[in-house]
Amino acid sequence: MQKVKTADSTSLVSKNVRIEGEIQGPENLHVEGYIKGAIALSGNIFVGNTGIVEADLEAKNIVIQGEVTGNVKAHQQLEIHPSGKLIGDCTAASIDIKEGAVFEGRSIMIRSARPQSGSNSPPSANAAPTAG
Amino acid sequence: MPLFAKKKIDIKSQRSQTALSQNETSYFGKNLTIKGRVSGNGNVIIMGGFDGEFNLRGRVKIAQPAKIKGEVKADVISVNGSVEGRLAAQQRLHLDKTARIEGQIVTPKLSIAEGAFFDGEITMSGRSAQASKPDAADAAPAPQKPGPSGPDQK
Repeated sequence: MQKVKTADSTSLVSKNVRIEGEIQGPENLHVEGYIKGAIALSGNIFVGNTGIVEADLEAKNIVIQGEVTGNVKAHQQLEIHPSGKLIGDCTAASIDIKEGAVFEGRSIMIRSARPQSGSNSPPSANAAPTAG
Repeated sequence: MPLFAKKKIDIKSQRSQTALSQNETSYFGKNLTIKGRVSGNGNVIIMGGFDGEFNLRGRVKIAQPAKIKGEVKADVISVNGSVEGRLAAQQRLHLDKTARIEGQIVTPKLSIAEGAFFDGEITMSGRSAQASKPDAADAAPAPQKPGPSGPDQK
């Protein structure tokens, strides 16, 4: 499978903007507004303090400072900050839930893409561990 | 943000409220595809694909790589990209030279740069546009021609 080029630009959904529908693409997304529907990106998703997301999320890394209701899948890391709230199941290779964060749901770890000794390499690097 | 630095908002006090949220510029990058409905207050720059309905109090800039299908309603719309569907601006609409429009345009003020592609129909009188903006009548009653009009309509 061809890996799409890493997202180099970050889209912003600002505070008073509301999106209902599907969002996808190789892009990073910063949400301060409201999104309902589904988000599937090959970049990172950052849900800011004022962000409210009622959607299933899929991305490389997901950081939650606001409120997320829905199932979340992070191919690398899921991070929930003290102000963050996640209601829904999470699937991630690595999870980081800070003190004060709210998480209600099941957690499923992705075992194949286990991060090795703090390395931040994408899963594709692990998939082909060819000898030199 | 120099993109919307032009501050020529002399419309109504109501309109200046939308100017308050000027810092809130949403940005939909060129790799992003959105299907559905976008609404709210603020300014938006679209670089990517959009399929659906756009209803915004603020300014929308449809940049060159953007491909829009559906309906866009906003206070001010400026287009560099391609649109298939309907554009409705409450205040004004600008088509830049790289713009490509197939569909309908509704706006009280219009400018089109040389080189723009436009296939469709334009409506500039507020009346026929009222169907899509129910509050247009009391929000902006006849922006031009301040002369004394007839006492009542027949």
